[in-house]
Amino acid sequence: MTLIHVPAPVLQVRNLGKYYGNFDADMIGRTGPEHGTARDPLSGSIVAAWDVNFEVAAGEALGIVGESGSGKSTVLRCIAGDIEASTGDVRLAPLEDGTVNILDLDPSSRRRLRVDTLSVVYQDPAEGLSMGVTAGGNIADPLTAAGWRNFGAIRERAQELLLRTEVPLDRMDDIVRNFSGGMRQRVQIARALANKPPILLLDEPTTGLDASVASGVLDLIRNLLEELQVAAVVVSHDFGVIEMLTERCLVMQHGRVVEDALTDQLLEDPHHPYSQKLVAAART
Amino acid sequence: MSNSPILEVRNISKSFTLHNIDGRNVSALHDVSFAVHPGEHVSLAGSSGAGKSTLLRLIYRTYSITSGEVNFRLVNDEWVDIAQLSDAEVIAIRGREIGYVSQFLRAQPRRSVIDLVSKAGVSRGMSPADAREQAGISLGRLGIAPSLWDVHTSVLSGGEKQRVNIAAGLISPPRLLLLDEPVSALDPENRERAIEVIADLSKQGVAVLAVFHDLDAISRLASRIILMARGQVVTDGPVDQVLPQLTPGDVQP
Repeated sequence: MTLIHVPAPVLQVRNLGKYYGNFDADMIGRTGPEHGTARDPLSGSIVAAWDVNFEVAAGEALGIVGESGSGKSTVLRCIAGDIEASTGDVRLAPLEDGTVNILDLDPSSRRRLRVDTLSVVYQDPAEGLSMGVTAGGNIADPLTAAGWRNFGAIRERAQELLLRTEVPLDRMDDIVRNFSGGMRQRVQIARALANKPPILLLDEPTTGLDASVASGVLDLIRNLLEELQVAAVVVSHDFGVIEMLTERCLVMQHGRVVEDALTDQLLEDPHHPYSQKLVAAART
Repeated sequence: MSNSPILEVRNISKSFTLHNIDGRNVSALHDVSFAVHPGEHVSLAGSSGAGKSTLLRLIYRTYSITSGEVNFRLVNDEWVDIAQLSDAEVIAIRGREIGYVSQFLRAQPRRSVIDLVSKAGVSRGMSPADAREQAGISLGRLGIAPSLWDVHTSVLSGGEKQRVNIAAGLISPPRLLLLDEPVSALDPENRERAIEVIADLSKQGVAVLAVFHDLDAISRLASRIILMARGQVVTDGPVDQVLPQLTPGDVQP
């Protein structure tokens, strides 16, 4: 089908898998949704994620939904490089035109991607920020890693980012540990965007915040995604977040993708029994 | 009216499998076929549960299609079956070629009324300046005063939101518009305004497939009526033939 122009993928994930424990080919067939567990009853190994496939284009956000333990954060962390994937192929269009499987890169090249190609916003700001450092200092980090040397230029870029993420500029030189949860999250977003990465991974970005604070952060993320045209992956257990930010999504259960659909279709016409259960629970 | 249709629905059926209610299978639509031409306004009528909204959602792919074809003629005159498109392809034609306006404004972030409507125009290829000018004209026609243009949509009343929704859905209109009770929550004066704006679409050659709650709107807007019952088409004909057969029960939600 070539009649309709579809934007080229910026992030491509093929057969991504992660297990803990010893590998036994048969354990794949003994785990997953139909067995009600990600833990192989024979070997005790955990198949945290298996056979995950998707692609995301610039200006598009893909959601991954599921309960805790479904494997959705594992997928995100394997792409980010926080944990080592067991198998799979992940390509980024900005890196050698997508000819390199980033899972094959050495750790330092992998870390280098986090500077200006692929950023992560974590649920817990302590994972994405140095809590004992100022807001400005946190943003300066990725800038200096990318080769910025001029102090004035760094301050200016930090101000610009704080302004954009609606952090009062008079807090720029305060240590982030003294910030509220919502404000920490905004600083984390500012830091993630410092070098204009084409790919942004968001792991439960508003979970744990008060409802009114969460909706402000959600608004900010939505506006940024639209404005910056990044390729985004949003992991969340909250359908409100998925509905607000994404047009397509995957549903994961026990380490497997059980459904992929247009987001409105998933909410209005879910097919898999687990998706139906999740949507029904979210609607009551 | 052009000779070639823009939409050809062939034998579509939809059933839902409710896994959490003992795997029950519920049939919502059965073997529905019809075509819509550019400039034509087709109203769907039928009592509650007849399948009108289901049909609109199937065409927009908010519901997946169980069987049948939803053939759509693209702007380059090529035909595609919406039922077979990938999700990414559906996203690519949504908004640009096929629009869907329901009575509800979808959750939006803090964004001003004028931005929301302009952005819809830009997403359909207008320049930002043209989109803003056209957004102002549309909002004015729908009775949204300029004093409201810069406020966030979240503070609007239900009727105002609905009219902003219509303005956004109809700016630089897509070639096929699906309208699901677009005027149902409006007071009489604003309802008149909205009906006039919708009537203009047909003059511009837009194909409209709509569900309304009242015979008055149907009689003034429709060129054709498809009467449905229990998920099937009962009658499909010109408005002057079908309208006399309708009862108030045929236009219930």
